Amino acid sequence: MARISVAWSNLMHERTRLGVAIAGVAFAVILIFMNLGFMGALIATATNFYEQFNAELFLISPETLEISTSTAFPRERLYQVAGVDGVGRIMPLYSEYLLWRNPETGVSRAIFVYGINPNDPAFLMPELQGSEARRILSQPDTVFIDRLSRPEFGPQDIGTTTEADRRRATIGGSYALGGGFAADGTLIMSDQNFVRYLEPRPLSLVNVGLVKLAPDASPEKVADTMRSLLPADVVVYTKAGIIDHDSAYWLESTSIGFIFSMGVVVSFVVGAVIVYQILFTDIRDHLPEYATMKAMGYRSQYLFKIVLQEAVLLAILGYVPGLAAALGLYHLTATATAGTLPVAMNGGRVLFVLVLTLLMCSLSGLISVRKAVTADPAEIF
Amino acid sequence: MIKRIPLAWLNLTHDRRRFATSLAGVGFAVLLMFMFNGFMNALYDSQLQLLNRFNGEIIIVNRLRTNMFVPRAFARRRLYQARAFDGVQDAYAMYISEVNWKNPETRKSRGVRVIAINPDEPVLNIPEIETYQQLLKLPETALMDTKSRVEVGPVEPGIISELADRRIRLVGTFTMGTDFASGNGNLLMSDQNFLRYFADRGPEEDKRSFATVDIGVVKLEPGTNVERMVNVLRENLPNDVLVMARDGDNGFVIRERNYWQENTNIGFVFSLLTSMGFFVGIILVYQILYTDVADHWAEYATLKAMGYKNGYLLGVVMQEAMIISVLGFIPGVLVSQLLYTAAGNATGLFFQMTPERIVNLLIATFIMCLVSGAIAVRKVQTTDPADVF
Repeated sequence: MARISVAWSNLMHERTRLGVAIAGVAFAVILIFMNLGFMGALIATATNFYEQFNAELFLISPETLEISTSTAFPRERLYQVAGVDGVGRIMPLYSEYLLWRNPETGVSRAIFVYGINPNDPAFLMPELQGSEARRILSQPDTVFIDRLSRPEFGPQDIGTTTEADRRRATIGGSYALGGGFAADGTLIMSDQNFVRYLEPRPLSLVNVGLVKLAPDASPEKVADTMRSLLPADVVVYTKAGIIDHDSAYWLESTSIGFIFSMGVVVSFVVGAVIVYQILFTDIRDHLPEYATMKAMGYRSQYLFKIVLQEAVLLAILGYVPGLAAALGLYHLTATATAGTLPVAMNGGRVLFVLVLTLLMCSLSGLISVRKAVTADPAEIF
Repeated sequence: MIKRIPLAWLNLTHDRRRFATSLAGVGFAVLLMFMFNGFMNALYDSQLQLLNRFNGEIIIVNRLRTNMFVPRAFARRRLYQARAFDGVQDAYAMYISEVNWKNPETRKSRGVRVIAINPDEPVLNIPEIETYQQLLKLPETALMDTKSRVEVGPVEPGIISELADRRIRLVGTFTMGTDFASGNGNLLMSDQNFLRYFADRGPEEDKRSFATVDIGVVKLEPGTNVERMVNVLRENLPNDVLVMARDGDNGFVIRERNYWQENTNIGFVFSLLTSMGFFVGIILVYQILYTDVADHWAEYATLKAMGYKNGYLLGVVMQEAMIISVLGFIPGVLVSQLLYTAAGNATGLFFQMTPERIVNLLIATFIMCLVSGAIAVRKVQTTDPADVF
C-alpha cells in the first residue's frame, strides 16, 4: 500500500503532465483499436454473408480462393455425397459477375449473381422463404436484389425493369445479404435464369456445393466421410472452415493484413515513446529523491518497482479513456460509412489491446528506469 | 541595445541528448502521418500504374467500361475509323484478360491479368517490350511483372509453366506492380499469343478474337491539340465507345482514380488514421515543449521580472516549436522513405513520395508544433516572478 502511494504521488504531483501522459497513452490505444477494428471489419464484411447460407457443409474446388474467384467443379460430386449418412439435402450454388444497368443513369456496373434452384432453401433470408418467393424466382428474367447493394445500382423497387448483360431483367423482390469484399451488390436468381444471363455457363459446373445436414448429424463426422469418398477436385469445409478459408485469403493475399498490422506496430512504438518521455522526465525531476532513497538503503529493485507501478498506472489510466473513445469512433465509422464498414468491438480485442498497453508501458518503464538505478547518491548533492 | 540572443535555439540545444529525443519524437509523429497517408495514396496510385504507361494522348474504351474491372471490349473497327482523322498518328489495340497461372513450384493456380499487344507497336511505355521484341513473337512466350505477388512463384526468364491450362515460357521480365484488377500479377504477351490462349477456352468461356479490343490507345501527331481531337473523335465515332483524353481533369486516369475514391472506404479509413497521427503528434510535441518550459521556469520568470512581456516568451516557445518541427521533419521523412520502400516490397503496392505530399505533411507538422507550443506556453504566461523564487 505504501509503495503504490509513492508511484501514485509521483504521477499526481504534476497534474497537467499526468493529463498529457494519459492523453498520450489513450491516443496510442485508440490508434491500435482503430487499426484492429478496420482490419476486423474488412474481414467480417468479406465473410459474414456465409451466415445466411442455409448449409452446414460447403464443397468447393481446391482452386477456389474465395467466393468471388471460384473455379467451378462437376455437379456429380454433389450427387456422390447425397447418399452419405446424415446428409439432408444437397443444393448447387452457381455464382458469377453480371453487368447490371442502373435504369435511371444508364450506367452499368458489375453485380455478383447467385443462381439457385428455386425449390432449394439455399438462403436463410426471410424474403426468400415460402411458395410465393419460389413462384416469383421461377419466372423468366426475374431476379431478387440485395438491399445492401451500393446505391449506384439504382432503384430496388419491385417491378423495376432494366437490363442485365443485354437482357431484360425485372426485380421481383429484395433481401439483405451484403456482397462482402469482392462485390458491390448481389442478385439471386433461379438456375434457369442464370443460364439465360450467363450463357455459355452450363449448369453441370457448380461454384459452391451447399450441404444441409439431417438435424442430429455431426458436421465434422459427415465431412470426414465425404472427404474419404470424394476425388481431389473438390474440398469439403464446415461453415467455420470456409469462413476461415476466405478470411485467410483476404488477409494474406491482399495487403490488408500487412497494412493494418503495420499500423498496430507503429502505434505501439509511438505509444512507447510517449510513455518513455513521461517516465524519463519524471525520473529526472525526482532524481534527488531517488538518490536519497538509495542513500537511505533502498535497493534498486525498489526503484524498479516504483517506476513499473507508475507505468502500469499510466497504462490503465490511458487505456480506459482510449477504449471509450475507440467505442465512440467505431460507432462514428459505422455511421459515416453507412454500414459498409461494420467496425465492432469484441472481448478478445479488448483484452488483447489491454495486454499490449501494459506491455508498451512496462517496456518504456524498464528503459527509462536505468537512469535512476545508476544514480550515485554522492553525485546528486 | 544588446545583440539579440537566439534564446529558443540555446534552450533547445542546451541538453543535447534531450534535443535528440525531442527530434525523434517529432520524427515519430511525422512517420505516423506519412505511414497512413502513404497507405492511402499507395492504394490509389497502384490502380493507375498500367494507365500511366499507355503511350497515347487519347484512350478509347467501351462505353460500359466504367473502370478497369469491367470486362467489356469494343469493335476494332473503331480504331481504324479513328486513324482516318487528321492529327491521328496511329491507334493501337490492347487486349486484356484474366486467367489462371500455375505457380511452377507449388503447382497452385492463381489469377493473373494478361495484357496483349502487337510487339511491333509502341502501345505501352515499357522499355522491356522492345528488348524482348523478337522473343515475344515466338509462340507461347510472355513477360512477367517482377512486382507480381509471391503467390505466382519465381519470376525470371526461362520459367516454364501453365497459363489457362496451356504451356507458357517466360522469356523476360518487366516492372510495373499490381492493382485491384490485376489479380496476383501482370503477364505481357503478343496479340498472336493472346489468340492462342484465349480464342477457344472451351464451351463455358467467352471466345476472344481480334474483332474486339479492350483498350484503344490513340497516338496523335506531335503538336496536335488533344482537347480538339477528343471532340472530333467523339462527334464522329458511334457512341458505343467512349473517347477520353488520357491526362487532365476529365481524363481516363483521373476517372479511374475517382472510381476507387468514390466506391471504397479507403479514403475514410486512412484519413481518420492520419488525423489521429496528427493528434498524437500534438501530444508528443507538447510534452517536449512543456518539459522545456518547466525546466527553464526560473529563467522565464526572471525574464518577466526584468520586464520582458508575455509576447516575447510566447515568441521564444513558438520559435522552439518551429525549430523542432522542421528539424524533426527531416529524420521523419527519411525514415518514412525507408518504410515506403519496405512496404512496397512486401505488398507490391506503389508507394510514392511526391514533393506535393511532402509539402502538405510539412505544413501539417508545422501546425501540429504551433498548436502544441501555444498550449505549452500558457504556463509561462501565468507565471508570477514572485512565486518562483
